[in-house]
Amino acid sequence: MDVKYKVNRLQTTNEIRPLVDKHWADLRTAKERGEKVAWASGPTFIFAYAMGMKCHFMAGYSAYCGGIGAGEEVLKVAEMTGDLPETCSYHRLHMGMGEAVARGIDINPQAILPMPDLMVAGRLCPEMSHYAEGLNRRFDIRVLPIDLPSVYDLKDQPRLREFVYRQFKEVVIPTVEEVCGKPFDYDRMSEILTVLKKVATLRNQCWEFFKTKPACWTLWDYGVSIAPVFYLMGNPAGIAYYERLLEELQERKEKGIPAIAPDGEKYRLYWDGWLPWAFLGKFMRKFTPNGAICLCGRYPWEFFPHPELIDPEHPVETWADLYYGEGRLTYHFSPHGTVDLISELIEDYSIDGLVMFSSKTCRIMNLSQPGVIDVLDKKYGIPGVIVEGDMIDPAMISDAQIETRLEALYEMIDSRRR
Amino acid sequence: MEKVLTEIAEITADPYGYVAGLKERKEKKVIGCFPMHIPDEIIHAADLIPVVIWRGNEPVTWGHAHVPPYDCGITRSFVDDAVRGKLGFMDGMVFHVRQCLQAGEFPFIMERHVKPSYQKVLYLPALYPGDVMRDFTITELEGFKTSLEEFTGKKISDDNLNKSIEIYNKNRGLLERVYEIRREKPEILKAREVMQIVWSSMFMLKEDHNKLLTELIKGMEAKTVEPEKDKIRVIPVGCLCQTLQFDILDLIEDLGMIIPDDDLYIGSRYFANQVNLDGSPLGALADRYLTRTPVCPTKGVWQVHWGDEAIKKMRDNDARGIISIIVKYCPPHACYYPDFKSKMEKEGINAIMIEMEHEIITLEAIKTRLQSFVEIIGGV
Repeated sequence: MDVKYKVNRLQTTNEIRPLVDKHWADLRTAKERGEKVAWASGPTFIFAYAMGMKCHFMAGYSAYCGGIGAGEEVLKVAEMTGDLPETCSYHRLHMGMGEAVARGIDINPQAILPMPDLMVAGRLCPEMSHYAEGLNRRFDIRVLPIDLPSVYDLKDQPRLREFVYRQFKEVVIPTVEEVCGKPFDYDRMSEILTVLKKVATLRNQCWEFFKTKPACWTLWDYGVSIAPVFYLMGNPAGIAYYERLLEELQERKEKGIPAIAPDGEKYRLYWDGWLPWAFLGKFMRKFTPNGAICLCGRYPWEFFPHPELIDPEHPVETWADLYYGEGRLTYHFSPHGTVDLISELIEDYSIDGLVMFSSKTCRIMNLSQPGVIDVLDKKYGIPGVIVEGDMIDPAMISDAQIETRLEALYEMIDSRRR
Repeated sequence: MEKVLTEIAEITADPYGYVAGLKERKEKKVIGCFPMHIPDEIIHAADLIPVVIWRGNEPVTWGHAHVPPYDCGITRSFVDDAVRGKLGFMDGMVFHVRQCLQAGEFPFIMERHVKPSYQKVLYLPALYPGDVMRDFTITELEGFKTSLEEFTGKKISDDNLNKSIEIYNKNRGLLERVYEIRREKPEILKAREVMQIVWSSMFMLKEDHNKLLTELIKGMEAKTVEPEKDKIRVIPVGCLCQTLQFDILDLIEDLGMIIPDDDLYIGSRYFANQVNLDGSPLGALADRYLTRTPVCPTKGVWQVHWGDEAIKKMRDNDARGIISIIVKYCPPHACYYPDFKSKMEKEGINAIMIEMEHEIITLEAIKTRLQSFVEIIGGV
């Protein structure tokens, strides 16, 4: 008889929405309080936070827009005002929001942000540069651009670290000082990192509950809990959130409550690429009835998986080292780094199969996915499939394609088990 | 002149065969450089044959097992050529992985499936503020030079590098002269011939190409042509990294337009800006890369507007319209295009955009757009 799988929802994750709403509401009203506002792409907002600026984060805003169901209408404005549908949907969301404000087009007010005093544009992927350039050309936003290459080969890492560190010291810090009219607040940056270290440590303890069989929670639960380890960085509410989450997970383990009822998962999956923010529910409905859950992924593991490396005493240096030193955070964007990271995750989380999400408009995590599947299949005998889609844009999502690929994955896992 | 044009047409009809033959004749190794910004003077100075990687002439087949269909034409075509073994004559490959995300696809695929004897990844920076950008560009170029020295086992002296730069500068100057003559007498060459002339420079040894250009220019200078005053002058813009289908160029001309100048990569953008020979050669190569014009959307430049540059080129050539050619799935160009278009609208410029794909199923849609365009700007 077929097993009827059903998600056991966590209680603590309900607490994230008010935190996130407050963050964006504070940002929306910052100018009314005379506060400086920044926008940021890539891991750069910490410099604005250290100066007391209210700051947006490109992917965070996009995830929020997707989460509140505003993505489609904002994307429509972008298309109507000239953006081409094949460009990054995060880019289009920001252009659409800016154009909606500039032209008085009615969109969900929660999706509207104040134009910033400074755009801190980390060019982690080249398209972040296009986005900052577009904002500058269209809305005359002042841009502080920083080039943040992802590391293809670890032997390149030291010189890239030096390149990025010099930009922090010689360009970023002097510019935010000029915009804010005060010296850079290294102490505040240290405080933010101290809180981040605590939150990420607690988060890692929660990750242990992905390892249990059956697992106690899913990657999607963690996906909605990312903000405290990233753009809510420095907010002590993040500590309280992860303490409660850890407590709930411990309780689940003690009581034998799995992530999905009745008895836990049949397939333990790895998820590659961005989380499909606007379609988390859609994907969940494709996994759960088959007894499949995602447990780990490259993007969700981007947020300081090694908190022990965070050194709040040396804030700028440690920030460079996390991305270009032992932390290796940008290396994981390259195919070699991807293979290294997924290998660790397959071993740590007892993974049965790989779902490689390939975004049609953001290629940063798509690079060489077919090759990565091949390498890992040879190494671990684990199958993988590529699922095409987008983080936000519904025009890029095909239900039939997703279902067909996932069915193929389940069949491959089953056949290898036999 | 006709003889040179025929020779160039033959060479560009089969770049694979030409480069493989060149390697055999010169007994030198071939290094493929992914377009658009790799300073191949350094490869030339290492006594190797640098060639700019091109979009092939066949539909993508095996390549789709390695890259998604929503990568641009040259990405898919190059990967396809590589995994099908069509690029066996390339001993080495160089990729500037910061140019666009798709350029980041190559090194891993090549390592696994092609295994070139030499492979180098460059991280040339965006043209952002601060001394650090120039310093880092020089660091990258020094590393590139060192890697070539290790590959060949021979040092690249500053003298050798300066000689190569001189040869490349001469090529740029000769190509500029071809364009000057074309601006004076646009009827003298077909647009496809001009593209073939520039494209051939990308995979011929520059010394050989310089000889051809010298002969060509003599012929062009001597030749008189009847001005075709009823033709409408237009400037094509864009088509980054790759050749435009010659059929599209023919179509533009068949519809009563003529191209006195262009802003195409396999066109005027390729030979723009000489390398200054005063001082350190690597510093000079870095400075050429760091030049903001012609505006390239892969370089992170917004102090100069691409639209202004295109409009200037249009006005300088008494042209009446601009045709943007966007390679399908080229994010740098696609992201820039809305602002380019706004600029055209603001300045009242006749402009149209056509999307170019590697696999053209039908030219009818492009023809209809171009026909409407030429009718609007007065071609009927």
